Amino acid sequence: MSCGKHHDVDCSEILDRVYVFIDNELDGASCEQIQSHLDECGPCLREVDLERMVKALVARSCTEQAPVELRQRVMFSIRQVQIEIGEGRELH
Amino acid sequence: MLSVADVPAPIGRSRVDGALAEIERHEWPLVLPVMTPSPETDVETVEERTARFERDAMIYIDQLYSAAMRMTRNPHDAEDLVQETYAKAFAAFHQFKEGTNLKAWLYRILTNAFINGYRKKQRQPIQDSHETIEDWQLARAETHTPTGLKSAEAEALEHLPDSAVKDALQEIPEDFRLAVYLADVEGFAYKEIAEIMGTPVGTVMSRLHRGRSQLRGLLADYARERGISVPEREAEVRS
Repeated sequence: MSCGKHHDVDCSEILDRVYVFIDNELDGASCEQIQSHLDECGPCLREVDLERMVKALVARSCTEQAPVELRQRVMFSIRQVQIEIGEGRELH
Repeated sequence: MLSVADVPAPIGRSRVDGALAEIERHEWPLVLPVMTPSPETDVETVEERTARFERDAMIYIDQLYSAAMRMTRNPHDAEDLVQETYAKAFAAFHQFKEGTNLKAWLYRILTNAFINGYRKKQRQPIQDSHETIEDWQLARAETHTPTGLKSAEAEALEHLPDSAVKDALQEIPEDFRLAVYLADVEGFAYKEIAEIMGTPVGTVMSRLHRGRSQLRGLLADYARERGISVPEREAEVRS
């Protein structure tokens, strides 16, 4: 099924490549092909926009800040490993 | 000055070797083909290496913690996982070649630590993701609706709170979740995700596809549950 209008590339082919398109995994020629389809096909454009929106929504929602104590714990354990390596050097 | 490379380091060495062996087992072509230390690290003292590590690697702690939260689903395990990741990374850091992708390398260690440690420890039944490439390729025979109603869906989803998106992400199978996280939050390329997760690129694409489809369905459910209305403007515009 398509939007009913004629396109050089069928809508189903575009929808097939929505993710690789929005993830910037396509080469320039393929991107241009999709872009020119989107310029003339509203339904496909809306579908691409929706997937982009979900992608942005995930990016926006899933950022956390590490607790201060964790940072301190990590620094402490790094120092411990450093001391162990240092002791090994002295033994050498 | 003694070089780090000459040091047998009986106590620290066992930990270093352990971490290295683990990383080597997972083949990391981008950063660990060089088994002889590079000239810069050859003359680097342990103290210098510590300073370099703190400068270059610690800036990713928020990101690694976010990823660990998505993996373990609770702050306590996420903190332990991040600490373990940094300890392992530091022990193996003299092997890391400056100029290569440190962030991806840290994510790889995090992912391995999670898969080899926490996932086993949690003893949760691993969610079966039933993933086959053919499966999702066939499923993708869907098309858009000519009426363009889905854009209204976009408008509804856009107003969901962060907590709803996190909850939805927690509900999809772990492998899907991680692939979506690495692509959407961290912006890793498919090839990098494949290396971090230790899978072929095709599997990454399959996981992304299925993960996003499921996520979108769950988000739409959340929107409906919260009574977010779907405007009819689209249909009017198109008629």
